[in-house]
Amino acid sequence: MVHEQHMVPFTEAAFHRTERLRNTAASGKKIIGYFCTYTPIELIHASGFLPVRIWGEQVRVEQAYTLVPNFICPYMRQSLERAMAGEYDFLSGLVQGYTCDIACGLFNVWKENIPLELFHSLPLPYNDTEDSRLFFREGVQELLDKLSGIGGCFSEDSLEETLMIYGQIREHLLALDVMRSTRRFAFGAEAFAAMLRAGFFLDPLEYLGMLADLKEALEEKEKSPAEGIPVILSGSLIENSPVLALIEELGGVIVSDDLCDGMRNASPAYGTGATPTERLLDRYMRRLPCPARARPSSRASLLLDQVRTSRARGVVFVFQKFCSPHLADYPSVSETLKKKGFPSILIELDEEGVMDGQIRTRLETFFSMLED
Amino acid sequence: MAGTGKSKKRLNAARELTQVVADYYLECQQAHDQGKPVGWMPPMNGVIEVFYAMDLQPVFPENWSPVCAAFGLTPGNFEVSEGMGYSRDLCGYLRNIVGYVYSDMHAAHVPLGGLPEPDLLISFGGGCIPAMKIFQILEQRFPSSRIFSADLPQVAVEDIRDHHIRYAVSEIHRLIDFLTRATGKKMDYDRLEEAVILSDKACALWDEIMSYRRFIPTPISAAEIGIMFVMVTRQGTQVAVDFLTKVRDEVRQRANDGIGVLEDEQVRLFWDNIPLWYNMGLFNAFEHMGGVFVAETYSAAWSLRLDTSNPLEALAMKSLMSYSLVSCLSIRRRKEMVLKACRDYAIDGAVFHQNKSCVPITIGQTDIRRALLKELDIPSITIDADHMDARNFSHAQFQTRADAFMEMLLEKKRDRGRPGV
Repeated sequence: MVHEQHMVPFTEAAFHRTERLRNTAASGKKIIGYFCTYTPIELIHASGFLPVRIWGEQVRVEQAYTLVPNFICPYMRQSLERAMAGEYDFLSGLVQGYTCDIACGLFNVWKENIPLELFHSLPLPYNDTEDSRLFFREGVQELLDKLSGIGGCFSEDSLEETLMIYGQIREHLLALDVMRSTRRFAFGAEAFAAMLRAGFFLDPLEYLGMLADLKEALEEKEKSPAEGIPVILSGSLIENSPVLALIEELGGVIVSDDLCDGMRNASPAYGTGATPTERLLDRYMRRLPCPARARPSSRASLLLDQVRTSRARGVVFVFQKFCSPHLADYPSVSETLKKKGFPSILIELDEEGVMDGQIRTRLETFFSMLED
Repeated sequence: MAGTGKSKKRLNAARELTQVVADYYLECQQAHDQGKPVGWMPPMNGVIEVFYAMDLQPVFPENWSPVCAAFGLTPGNFEVSEGMGYSRDLCGYLRNIVGYVYSDMHAAHVPLGGLPEPDLLISFGGGCIPAMKIFQILEQRFPSSRIFSADLPQVAVEDIRDHHIRYAVSEIHRLIDFLTRATGKKMDYDRLEEAVILSDKACALWDEIMSYRRFIPTPISAAEIGIMFVMVTRQGTQVAVDFLTKVRDEVRQRANDGIGVLEDEQVRLFWDNIPLWYNMGLFNAFEHMGGVFVAETYSAAWSLRLDTSNPLEALAMKSLMSYSLVSCLSIRRRKEMVLKACRDYAIDGAVFHQNKSCVPITIGQTDIRRALLKELDIPSITIDADHMDARNFSHAQFQTRADAFMEMLLEKKRDRGRPGV
């Protein structure tokens, strides 16, 4: 039997996250924050810095409303709230790979209000052509120059090492996702999310070791298949929302996901190309797309494949409230699923992740329908 | 309380706008009827000049939304798109155009003959998310259209570098190749140069018209923002230059003659964000207390000059800059622009439209408001509304705030004494 102790390193790391990061910064290693997984964090790491994804998580927003309206996604409101409270005082900079309007706007709000050494926004190409890859490469060089300006020390060799580490991490995550879809991941959805979340703030080498240990333990020990109605989650960030526990409480079992802080960032594990930089660019050009960067038709077919592969019976769309890219795709993507016989439901997460009665009722109805 | 029904059109030239608008939509329909390729595209980029130079008909679905708002079509269009599952939290432009294209586009109640169906869709990555998503939805609605997936770097104006320009230029070349293949029409580079020259003339006229706002009393107000129509749909043509020349001449004459929008101008106001297209009369809501909206942020999108000696690069720069100038791509740049406008136009107070339908322009308003107060001692208010969806606007609440704000500004002016002309 796999014991809860195998998850302890992940939960412990999360519990001491801020303290650990402050210690890292105090030791002289610079930490660079980012919002979106389209940020090529390998460049940050290969420059000698630690990339850390900014978290929002459950916090009451008060101060942030003095700077932003209440009709932007809770993740951005909450992360700004934490920044204004000084919780990100370990950061030296903020770098973003351009994706959505809100991330762009909040990047600039941070720039005006949170004193950091480096701010840089990297525009990313939408098309994959020879010219767009050249443009991307030139943008990467501009970012590297900025990182060098705050003490970064980049080389193709250091990038090669970094790509290997992140590639192995993604391979482990993809393998763990297969375990989840075949009901061999012995823990619940919250544990899976905690495991993913740790990768956003831990040193990647340390995280790689933790994932390897967990995977080995899951492979060697006695299996205890998870029971329940198999569903896939699709949407933006979930972070540590209670919605995961609620789905399981109502009889669902999450067999895979298409989430911003889930598996969408894991595939492909590696890019191809003659040089480390080309392999980096290739991976970002070919990664599973976010709706901010892709058509609903292409996303619908990828999601359909995922549903079939994981043998899910339906899809729970979980969006951050006010998330325009997802909301704009939803009618088309859900209609495609419906035509192929896969029902879906949409729930939106607002501040503090509070599960109101309406969400519970909607999910109860959905799972009752899937059970029939 | 003053009524805020239809906006008052004070310029004779601006009254001609109605005809300019009608002519444009008639031209679009005729192009379609005569077999001239019609392409739908997002506004604020260099595609329009390419289209005019290749004798293709450009159509701007985003610009159609204000027309729908003015003619009261919006609620019906919202009903259709929301019925399809498009959330009320999405931009009103998106919900309106989706509702429109999935309704009877040429029904009897649709003004100006409606929009002709597109032969080409210039779908793009760049600008804001709703603008990109609109075209992805249109691709599904008009599956027989030829689609060009354009790509435009999203970068703050002050951060534009050579590689951004090079890529934008390469995208224009790719667009021209696509249009040639899709329509059989070839690019006439002399016509393109001419179109760029005409666009630059329009921009110069635009800047000149805006400059007369320095006069006290102001000869033109934000209520005339409709003249922007030619900057969206007619750039690259003589039509825009001729129309703006008339506007410029009249505004100049009024400025020289000391004729203001208000006879007794008491307070000069600044408007931030897109107007309420369904209630343009709002710009007049301060007039009963002597307040006039002298300037607004949105016009800045057209306040740029083009290097006519290098047409392709000029169009690349225009494409890179237009959206950036008015969005949250750079709050710092926008702040500088608003402060400059408020200084240049001797603004007394500012109204910030916290616009549920346009987050890219709304984000950063607080930083700009703070800077206005700190650096120029200019107070401001925020109003909660939506440039397309009247359901997100409370007129009573607005008028109460507007009146209180005006009282405060008048009191402040009385205390300090009116500055000289």
